[in-house]
Amino acid sequence: MISRRKFLVLVTASAATIATGKALSFGEKRTESELSKYKWAMVIDVDKCTKCVLDIMKKEGIDDIEKVRPPCIKACDLANNVPQSDKYYYSFIRFYMVKETEDAKPLVFPVMCQECEHPACVEVCLTKASYKREDGIIVIDLHRCIGCRYCMIACPYNARRFLWEPPEEHLKVVNPEAPIRKHGVVMKCEFCDWKIDKERSEGKEPKPVCVEVCPHKALVFGNLKDPNSEVSKIIKTSKVLTLRAYLGTNPKVKYKLWGD
Amino acid sequence: MGVEVPKIDFKKIDGSSPGYYAICAIWLIICLIGVYAYIQQWIHGEQLTGLNNQVPWGFGIAAVCYYIGASAGSLIVSALSGLFEKEEFKIFSRSAAFFAAAMIVAAMGAIFTDIGNPENSVNFLIHFNPTSIFSWNAFLYSSYFVVCCVYLLAQFEEKKFLTRCIAVFAVAWAILVHSGTGGIIGFIYSNDFYHSSLTVPLFIISAVASGLGLLIPTYILTFKWTKREYDPDLLWTLTKIMGAMVILLIYCFIVEGFEKGYMPASHEAFLRMITSPETPVVYVYWFGQLGLMFLALAIMLSPFRRKDWAMFTAGILVAIAVFCERYVLIVPGLSYPYEIFPGYEVVKPFHIVPYYPSWTEWAIVLALLAGAYLAYCIGIKIFALLPEKAVKIEEVKEK
Repeated sequence: MISRRKFLVLVTASAATIATGKALSFGEKRTESELSKYKWAMVIDVDKCTKCVLDIMKKEGIDDIEKVRPPCIKACDLANNVPQSDKYYYSFIRFYMVKETEDAKPLVFPVMCQECEHPACVEVCLTKASYKREDGIIVIDLHRCIGCRYCMIACPYNARRFLWEPPEEHLKVVNPEAPIRKHGVVMKCEFCDWKIDKERSEGKEPKPVCVEVCPHKALVFGNLKDPNSEVSKIIKTSKVLTLRAYLGTNPKVKYKLWGD
Repeated sequence: MGVEVPKIDFKKIDGSSPGYYAICAIWLIICLIGVYAYIQQWIHGEQLTGLNNQVPWGFGIAAVCYYIGASAGSLIVSALSGLFEKEEFKIFSRSAAFFAAAMIVAAMGAIFTDIGNPENSVNFLIHFNPTSIFSWNAFLYSSYFVVCCVYLLAQFEEKKFLTRCIAVFAVAWAILVHSGTGGIIGFIYSNDFYHSSLTVPLFIISAVASGLGLLIPTYILTFKWTKREYDPDLLWTLTKIMGAMVILLIYCFIVEGFEKGYMPASHEAFLRMITSPETPVVYVYWFGQLGLMFLALAIMLSPFRRKDWAMFTAGILVAIAVFCERYVLIVPGLSYPYEIFPGYEVVKPFHIVPYYPSWTEWAIVLALLAGAYLAYCIGIKIFALLPEKAVKIEEVKEK
């Protein structure tokens, strides 16, 4: 029979071992790879998005901007195994309609993960499940995510979604190439990393699904490290808006407001 | 050579009465209801909570902050004799340290039951992110439990010098742990409601208030039910410390409120959250947080303040009020949408999302509290945690 004193010593020692074990993972590093040649970014033409969304709202008689489902959202949801639930909004892209004043002309902004250079979500992630790839894309390792949702609290753009329900209940089709998630983890736009990695390895010019399906070519995607890429040229020559720039997160999704 | 301090006899309780078993049974039943709620949540996902993608933190995280606070507060009470050489408080030192250990386990339980993917929870222990204050806290919580156990062990061994040294370290560690917890909320710069350097010291003050708020009624009932002689003056001293903490808390709320209301970017949001009945926060803030604190203060200043029932009631009121404060700290900043487009007058969609905790959240949070109290009930039976007489040390000497 173990004495109470020994029991206490044993409990203390076990807890100390766990505490120390955690500290051992301090120096964990990811090695550099081919990805470091890229820095993916997106420029969104707000005028084109506004026209597209307002046309759909008029055509389909929709008043509520949250109910609008332009081709980019439809394709994104389908390709990335995003559940369609009546209770929760899971889509990675969310449209906002903003006006300078009540009677001003509206502008429509699609807001998804802004792929920040200094991401708050990565900074706060307990287990390093959210991390920045060498090409700048913020991804979530589903095997590491414990579903604490601290990243959602920290994200300045409300761009992350938590799977509150078992997703299989709300998925009609499953894309085996994209991440297949279980409930209790966080998900977000990852610039369709599974797709762009594949296309890059095939020597094609990679594009996320939303960029590919946009009928108005409102979304431009490319490599910021390539000075000749279209995104690099737009950012150099046009006036672009960065959401909540004062926070210093330095997003790689930019909004072009004033046309050409 | 120091002055010889009379030894206090710590004894286990008998714990064989039907009343003792009835109390344990009540705690156990509450725990089992919580286990059932958690199994339901495990199977069906966190859709059973009242949370959503705009308000992803709620009752569970408020409970995490609360239990950690109560634990830190208890440990500070436990260390009063060692730290400030207040020998008269030595009678509380063992039981308060045990209570602190039980509460930190409840806090870790609250984290575990709140996370969406408990199968991966081992990652919480093996992967460390040095930039995450929460990751640091994972280390602090487990090490804090170790500190509580070592401190308790040193007391059992009657090692006076060692106990005093560990008491000093334990208080420093408790302050560090709770500062870290305050940092989880206060360092979130993207949310105007959360971002505040006042949160960290406010957490420490709340910790002491809630720790005492739970301990005072617990001691009164324990001493009465185990038929132990006790000195109400000692409990009154603890009540006075609690009162001072409540006054400090109210002062901090006023400063914080003015600061949030002063800034044009957040004053509308702040005023709406504390005046508009769109969400239950307005009631929790005025009645739960401030109302109960003022009521507790009124009791502590009344002519009956030294009566057992008055100290008991004040303790309970402060304990509930601090929980309400945690709730108000977590929820309104999320219920009110982030200002992603500063400068634009009209932004749609713009939803103030009300959050109501579901029955599963209530059941789990109460079960964790019941678990801590069940551990306390068992602890005082199997360990010599309570003094034979809870009276001042001089009186022990005279007798």
